[in-house]
Amino acid sequence: MAKRVLIIEDEPNIIESLRFLLEREGLEVEEQSDGAKAMDSVSRLSPDLVILDVMLPNRSGFDILQDLNAQPGHRPKVMVLTAKGQAKDRDTAEAIGVDHFMTKPFSNNEIVATILGLLA
Amino acid sequence: MRKSLSGTRIREQRRQAKLTQKALAAEAGISASYLNLIEHNRRSVAGKVLLAIARVLDVPASSLSDGVDSAKISDLHEAAAHHPTIGAEVAGIEELAGRFPGWAQMIAALYRQTRDQEATITALSDRLTHDPFLAESLHNMLSNITAIRSTSNILKNIEDIEPEKQARFHQIIHEESRRLTDAAQSLVQYFDKKADPKAGIATPQEELDAFLQRHNYSFPALDDLGDSPASQVAIVYLVNRILAEDSQLENTETTRLVTEFLQNYAQDAQGLPLTNFKKTAQRSQYNPSQIAQEFGVSLHSVFRRLAFQDAAQTAAPPMGLIVSNAAGRALFRRPIADFSFPRHGNACPLWPLFQSFTTPQIPVAAVLELPGKHKFIALAIAESQGAPHFGQPAQMNAAMLIVHYEQRALLSGWLPDLGEALPVGITCRICPRAKCTARTEPQILGEESGQ
Repeated sequence: MAKRVLIIEDEPNIIESLRFLLEREGLEVEEQSDGAKAMDSVSRLSPDLVILDVMLPNRSGFDILQDLNAQPGHRPKVMVLTAKGQAKDRDTAEAIGVDHFMTKPFSNNEIVATILGLLA
Repeated sequence: MRKSLSGTRIREQRRQAKLTQKALAAEAGISASYLNLIEHNRRSVAGKVLLAIARVLDVPASSLSDGVDSAKISDLHEAAAHHPTIGAEVAGIEELAGRFPGWAQMIAALYRQTRDQEATITALSDRLTHDPFLAESLHNMLSNITAIRSTSNILKNIEDIEPEKQARFHQIIHEESRRLTDAAQSLVQYFDKKADPKAGIATPQEELDAFLQRHNYSFPALDDLGDSPASQVAIVYLVNRILAEDSQLENTETTRLVTEFLQNYAQDAQGLPLTNFKKTAQRSQYNPSQIAQEFGVSLHSVFRRLAFQDAAQTAAPPMGLIVSNAAGRALFRRPIADFSFPRHGNACPLWPLFQSFTTPQIPVAAVLELPGKHKFIALAIAESQGAPHFGQPAQMNAAMLIVHYEQRALLSGWLPDLGEALPVGITCRICPRAKCTARTEPQILGEESGQ
C-alpha cells in the first residue's frame, strides 16, 4: 500500500512540483493550503508524512507542529519546509519536535531522498 | 556628591610650571599649608585666591574652576557603567579628568562615538528585523525561486514527462519568473526611496512621523477653532489647507493617515479649547484625569492634547506619547528625549501601554527605567474606540503618556506613590536585560551586567 504524504503549503506551484516528484516515487500525495484546516486534514487523511510550511495563511506552521506533537496516538513523520531558514527558526522547530528541517529553495534529489528516508 | 576638582587642576598646573607649593603660595599671598589643602581638594577655592593663583600660574582662572569638566566626567561615568566588566576605577574618574584632561577627553569622545555607532546599528538592525515589507518581499522571492528551481530541475533531468505536464511546468517557470521580476523591481524601488537623503523615510507611518516633526507637533490653525463647536466643513477646510501647504506629502496612504490625525487633532481642540485647556492643565498640575473630568472628554483626548503641543509655547513639561492598537501596532507617536520608540511594533511588552489592555478603561501609572538608566513616569489607559456594537468585538486602543522622571515635581500634587522603578526596554532585539522573563527574541548588543 502506497505511503501517504500530506503537503501543507500555500504556494500552488511548489505543491505541483513536489506532487510530481513524489508521485513518481509511488507515493500518494494530498495537499492543504490553509493553516487553520491543517489539523483537520491530518485527522482525515492519516498521512505517513507531513511536509509543513511555516508561513501559512491563518495559522503558523509552528503552531500546527505543536498540535501534531500533542495529539494522542500515531504521529506522522514531519518535515518542516520553509523559507524561514534562520537558526532561530530551526531551533524553534527542533525545540517543538520535528523529524527533519529543510529550507527553501531545495534540491529535488535531496528532498526526495530525505522523504524516502523518513518513510523507510 | 561630586568633589571639587580645582585643587587637582592647580596642582597639575603648578607642576607644569615647575613651582613648589611654597613658591606658588608665597606668590599668591597664601600659606603653603592652605595651598596644600586646596591642592588635595580639601578646601574649595574661588574669588581672589583663585585669581591670584591663576595669575601666578599664568592661566585663565576659568581653566582652574569647577564646572568645566562636568560633561566629560558624566561621560566617563557612563562609559564605566557601560563596560562594567572592564573594572574601570570609578572612584578615580575625577582625578583622571583633573590630572589628565586630554586623555579623559579622548576616552569620553571614544565612548560617545561608540554609543552613537551602537545607536545607528540599533536603528539599522531594528529596521531590517522588523520591516514588514522587506520580510514579506524576501519570503515571496524565496518561494518564487523555489518553484523555478524545482520545476526547471524536473524539466532538465527527467525525460519521460508527458507533453501536457511539460507545458504546465514551462508555464510555472514563466509565472514565477515574472513574479520574481516584479518582486525584485519593488525592492529596487524600495531601496531607491531609502537612499533618498531627505529622510530615509519608507512607510506611510514614518512619513506621518516626519510630517508631525516638520510641524513641531502642533497645528495652531486648528487650535483656534474657539470654544463654540466649529462646523465639520470648517475643519475639513483647515485640514485641507494644512495638507496643501505641506509640499512633502506625496503618498496617498500617508495623506490619508495625516488627514485622520488632523481631524482627530481638531476634535481634541474643540473638546479642549487651547486657552482654557492650558489654564486647567497648569492649575491641575497636568493631571489628565482632572482635565478629562472638567472638560468631559476621554483620557486619550487629554493625552493627545498634552503631547501634541509646542513645548516652547507652553510651560508644560515635555511629554511623549505612543498610541497602539491591540495588535501592538503603533498608530502615532510623539517622541520624547531619551525614550525611543521601535520603528515597527514589537516594543517592550512590559510597557504599561500593553499592560493596560488587561484592564481596559482603568488608568495605570508606573515609573519606568530604561537600560540607559533614564527614568520616566508613564501613564497609560486602554479605551474602546467609537460606539460599541452588539455582536462585534470592541476595538481597543491604548495610549501611554511619558514624562521625564526629573519633572515629577510638576505632577506631585496628584501623582500617587509609584514605588520602585520598573526595569523595561525599548524592544527585545536591543535590550540588554538578559534575564527578562518577557523576552521574546534574542538581543544583538551586549548584555547588561547584574541582570
